[in-house]
Amino acid sequence: MKRTVFFSLVIVAAMLIGVVPAQAKKTILTPFDKRDWHVIAPQDSDAPLRDYAILYDAGGVDGAVGVIGIPSMRTYRHIRCGTDMHNFPFSGSNAGNNNGTPDGKYFYVSDKGADTIIEVNIQTGWPERIFALPKPFGIHHSAALSPNGKYLWATGELTGHMLKLRLSDGATTVLDIPPAPSAPDYPDTGRAGKYVFSGNYYHSAVMVFSQDPFKLIKEIPVGKNPHGTNVSPTNRIVAVCDKLSATQSIIDVEKLKVHKVIPVGAGPLHNQFDTLGKYNYISCFVSDSTSKIDMQRFQLVDEFPIHYRVGHNSIAPDNAYYCSQNKFSTGLFTPTGIVFAVNFELQDIDETSATYGKSVKLIPVDGEPHEGRQIFATYIQRWNTGKGQEMFSKGYDLGDVHISFGEKGRPGLPANIHPQLEPIHVGNSSRGWIPRDDGKPGITKEGDVYVVRVKGFSYGYVPRFIHVPQGAKVRMIYTNIDKAAGLTKNPDVTMGLAVGGYYGPRTFLIGVRGFSAYAEFVADKAGEFEFFCQHFCGPIHLEMRGTFFVDPPGKQASLSVGDYDEISKQEQMLDVREHEFIVGTNKLRNTLNEGHEPTI
Amino acid sequence: MREMRIFLAVVLGAALVFTTMFAQSVSADVLGNGSAITDCLQIGKITSIGDKQLTIATQFEKKSKNYTLHLLPECYVMTARRGEFKKFKELKKGDLIAAYGWYKDGKWNARRIDILDKNDYLIKRLAADAKAGVYYKHER
Ligand SMILES: [Cu+2]
Repeated sequence: MKRTVFFSLVIVAAMLIGVVPAQAKKTILTPFDKRDWHVIAPQDSDAPLRDYAILYDAGGVDGAVGVIGIPSMRTYRHIRCGTDMHNFPFSGSNAGNNNGTPDGKYFYVSDKGADTIIEVNIQTGWPERIFALPKPFGIHHSAALSPNGKYLWATGELTGHMLKLRLSDGATTVLDIPPAPSAPDYPDTGRAGKYVFSGNYYHSAVMVFSQDPFKLIKEIPVGKNPHGTNVSPTNRIVAVCDKLSATQSIIDVEKLKVHKVIPVGAGPLHNQFDTLGKYNYISCFVSDSTSKIDMQRFQLVDEFPIHYRVGHNSIAPDNAYYCSQNKFSTGLFTPTGIVFAVNFELQDIDETSATYGKSVKLIPVDGEPHEGRQIFATYIQRWNTGKGQEMFSKGYDLGDVHISFGEKGRPGLPANIHPQLEPIHVGNSSRGWIPRDDGKPGITKEGDVYVVRVKGFSYGYVPRFIHVPQGAKVRMIYTNIDKAAGLTKNPDVTMGLAVGGYYGPRTFLIGVRGFSAYAEFVADKAGEFEFFCQHFCGPIHLEMRGTFFVDPPGKQASLSVGDYDEISKQEQMLDVREHEFIVGTNKLRNTLNEGHEPTI
Repeated sequence: MREMRIFLAVVLGAALVFTTMFAQSVSADVLGNGSAITDCLQIGKITSIGDKQLTIATQFEKKSKNYTLHLLPECYVMTARRGEFKKFKELKKGDLIAAYGWYKDGKWNARRIDILDKNDYLIKRLAADAKAGVYYKHER
């Protein structure tokens, strides 16, 4: 009996040898624990007079987009945009990796706090238009551009919606994504014009949509709580960071099912493919590392330490550098205020470089940046040498391609005004810090003021549901009661509270430990508004959510009962002279001619 | 007799499993089987240049394939290293390029052409891998 089984196994083994191809040579790289993590010796990147690429980062809570030189890592400027800047694609095409194929004209950045998308002109460095999204929506990202550059897809994380937006005029198609709870978060578009993919963390699935007509095709179950969901430059696969499974699910774009699951490190968040699709670099929040995945072998091949608690990431357009956009600077830097700087860490990923795998720069960064994308500096013209007017009206050449902003600057803008919009956009609310308030969570009435006390911790709020009547004067007091971040134990955890949409710019409370933050405003518009933590605090940060109801007289607010048409105009946040820059609103909701809106 | 049956069951079972595995790897369409015309990125050497069109022979694959690429009017030609913009007429036979675009109505439409540098670490890596039997677009 024993002998028979043994004999059978030998035959099976022989078959195995015959069928499985010879194992290829392994990539040999120095193990990361045998390398120093950073380089102290002087670098070529220390003082270049010109940077060859520019990193634009959506600065999160500072409401600005940071403009940083690569490889010097010097901050050139901040572009003021709104309240809570999250994600963006460059205009042009999505061909290539996450950086796409820009035309160098615009980028589109989502404002999770104000529930808008801002169009920023890269050449002037100013915002130009505000896409007023149909309400209620609750945007998280606008990371997905169509191959022909004419449409954007955005996810309504806070209400379980998803939309397709036509960039020429802001017209939209809005889809409902049941069953609740539903949180579409990171979208990416297939590069062949066929599909749009988006993770849905409550469903632990990746949703697949067709681009035109825009509709849901199927959900593909992946690992627990998917986060970054990105299509490879080849369009052969979708890489999904299974945040709570420490794995990456590889979806076959042709078969629309999971092809393989790769262990990648704890807390994988975001993908950066190089431009050839050879490697994918993943930011791992819990393991404090950059994981390098070989996409031919579907295997983890290297790991670089980062400092600390990375969120997003970006890659240089020539694949020489990777930027780890870290959320915590525990123990680093000189204090300069109540809210500490986060940091960006530049890592050398050129395998032939003497400093391969090391951090070559680490800089303090204000705000709390989310997505970053990089563009070659060759796209950006010199506008200040007397040729500006001519370049705007007649355009300029990038090789064979003529770039033009047209006679009128661009469609939708008045003929005589060159774009120089700077949104005021912070809502004229009264906000600040007070000594730590230890009052009981809940609502009390002091005179005619509704005092709402909310406590935040990893990962949630007490209370989770807040009702105030329409017209109420509200004083919201927010206290971070955590001793240290939940899973990771960083002692300097900051936690936020922002009421998404209309009340976003009026709340936006930053809860540092030891203080309470307050906001005073009038709840003049009715509706149901999701509130969320806008300050990254740990792997389950996105699920820190609650709901703020402003109930109209005699009714309870809901996603269908509220002043949404009025709110969708976004006018309340802007100076009157800036209203002409607002496009979209509920008026253009579901006005796209689906099936006749080609994306390639 | 019983042992014989166990022996047969194990061997036949295994045979069945491997046949299925083998059959699957053959019928797998794109993933694992080298480049396809439907890919949105092609890497190859230019073999001929026409009127706003190129033919390339793919590189780093098990078997090189030929594709004809049609340049869209908005197609950039640029160097992969520093993003220097070039003109179409500057491309030469034998240049190693990466082309980004999509297949539509029987044509592969290029939206961007990157002129690759043979000394780039990724090119060296793709070449070394192919030599070692790990071919580009033959994912595992
Ligand atoms: Cu948080």
